[in-house]
Amino acid sequence: MNPDVQARLERLKLSPIDGQALKKLIEAGLTWLRANQQMVNALNVFPVPDGDTGTNMVLTMQSAYNEIDHLGHRGIGQMAAAVSQGALMGARGNSGVILSQLWRGFARALNNHEILNGPALVQAFAIARDTAYKGVVRPVEGTILTVAKDAAAAAAQAIQETNNPCEILARVVIEADASVQRTPELLPVLKQAGVVDAGGKGLYFILEGMLRFVHGEPLDTPTATVQPLSAMNLENTIASIEPGQDYEVVVDFVPRETLDLQKFYGELEKIGTSIQVGEGEGMYRMHIHVPNQKRYEPIDFVMSLGTITKIAMENLVAQMEGIDHKTSGARVELANIEPGQIGVVAVSPGAGISRVFASLGVAAIVEGGQTMNPSTKDILDAFENLPTDKIIILPNNKNIILAAQQAKDVTVKKVRVVPSRSIPQGLAAMMHLNPDGETEAVADKMTKAIEGVITIEVTTATRTVEIDGVSVEQGQVIALVNGKLAISTATSEEACLGALAHAHADEYELITLFHGEDLPTNETNRIVDVIRAAYPAQEIELQDGGQPHYQFIISVE
Amino acid sequence: MSKETTTLGTIYISPNALATIAYHATLTSYGVVDLAPKNLAEGITATLTREPAHGVAVHYNGEEIDIDVHIIIEYGMRITSVADSVANAVRYQVEKALGMPVHNVNVHVQGLHVSDSE
Repeated sequence: MNPDVQARLERLKLSPIDGQALKKLIEAGLTWLRANQQMVNALNVFPVPDGDTGTNMVLTMQSAYNEIDHLGHRGIGQMAAAVSQGALMGARGNSGVILSQLWRGFARALNNHEILNGPALVQAFAIARDTAYKGVVRPVEGTILTVAKDAAAAAAQAIQETNNPCEILARVVIEADASVQRTPELLPVLKQAGVVDAGGKGLYFILEGMLRFVHGEPLDTPTATVQPLSAMNLENTIASIEPGQDYEVVVDFVPRETLDLQKFYGELEKIGTSIQVGEGEGMYRMHIHVPNQKRYEPIDFVMSLGTITKIAMENLVAQMEGIDHKTSGARVELANIEPGQIGVVAVSPGAGISRVFASLGVAAIVEGGQTMNPSTKDILDAFENLPTDKIIILPNNKNIILAAQQAKDVTVKKVRVVPSRSIPQGLAAMMHLNPDGETEAVADKMTKAIEGVITIEVTTATRTVEIDGVSVEQGQVIALVNGKLAISTATSEEACLGALAHAHADEYELITLFHGEDLPTNETNRIVDVIRAAYPAQEIELQDGGQPHYQFIISVE
Repeated sequence: MSKETTTLGTIYISPNALATIAYHATLTSYGVVDLAPKNLAEGITATLTREPAHGVAVHYNGEEIDIDVHIIIEYGMRITSVADSVANAVRYQVEKALGMPVHNVNVHVQGLHVSDSE
């Protein structure tokens, strides 16, 4: 091995690779996956924003890391076993479960090993693959499984030429990348949506993070790669602003000559953070967060490279204060429950909706919804402390019903889940709450009530796809009636009107609209006026729902 | 029997057809190594008739479709996560094929399968 490389590995305490070194590598994989989490999330195949493959994988890896964080000196076998245990316990979602199986196989291969050498690493990749494949009768190719298989093959190939685990890892990362790029060829649904497999990409980021750590490359800024414009997720960068990030600058430009990405990123990293570069429609888009005094530097820099077509600059500090202002606006006053009364736990995606639930007598709120499903434990925690043992849970989302039912199974309290699949269903059920009644009778009444309401959800499609015979362009507004795609159109207004017509709203009495956090007030009011004019015989109510992603959640009853 | 009325007539979809869709969705779901018969009688029937969708029961009461799947999971996985994925996959595939909402998908974990460790 090159003596420089050897010296660096020793400095990083990576030579020999023992338990402590594995811990560092796991941390690196986790950090890098987290840095690219939004990008993985954006690879969602379905048009409704529920893409949390990246989040699920991060949570699984985080659980694995938590298990080893406090461990001192251990052999690699014991450390890997702890990683496997942590991943298993924290496995979330499909990709998380597969990831936990990969770690399980990896750990089994290293059982009784003290340090990791080349042959052991190759063996570990192979057994990880075998263990993962054992978990399914009909493996779907073009997923994280395929990437694990190709990675194991690359490791077996590499050992012919080198015994050094770090070099084997480097070959594995190259092949994993290629394998991810091939996934659309194997899985038509990916090709149709124009994306690669999210789980496979997540696995690639974990492996790449380890390799970047070995090479001494930074792990907290996104990789020097270009993503498709459609995959850029600029809204979410605002959630994690730190001091020194005063302005967000987004510049569209056409470079004079081919962009040297490494150099481009290198220069941008000197100016600011949260760098993203996207490409599409013959131009590039650059996104960066910069401190106040450097706010014009990215523009000057990009101008030196080519022609600027558009510049957008936003004051993040003001925006953050605006956000704080909004959330601290009004506290949610939950109902007080006496012992012996029924306590209702509701899952709510936004502050406004929480307030409405509270005003109807909900005793505990669990935050969550389409993109962030609460765990069984979150739900359990919400009601365990209520001073009553009669509990009714309103999941208000079809993906949360199961977690709610599990909460019921692990508590000694008497719990009923009223399977509400949307916010309007949950609210309709609350109308029939009698806190002093018998749990069973009240829950039956509430369950009956959820069938009498029609739910319309209006949101923006995150990708171009055809579902239920309706073709959807990315960026179009879509409306779902009772969870089924009904219409796709250009504006929220048309989506609302179309969905209301689809639901035969003129045959009902009350239309309640909950507007989301992203929609400006004047636009909201305008749309509501249009609806009022279209449905003069119906009573129209507007509420500030504060939910993310959905412009409107509408209840028709 | 699910039914849908069109201008040309009525389309009937038998629960067996839905069960087959659910069966395949379940088997391609990660973590599931097999489906299990609900009870002994069904087990014997399934063996005799080579029933294409054993371990799946579809109930239709004229308004709502409920699906029960009985599965065996590979030992060593987080059971709740696997069951969750099965419920999502079955619901998605059936709703996509049928164009009608599925009311409930109930997943029954009937057993665990232990692969020989090498």
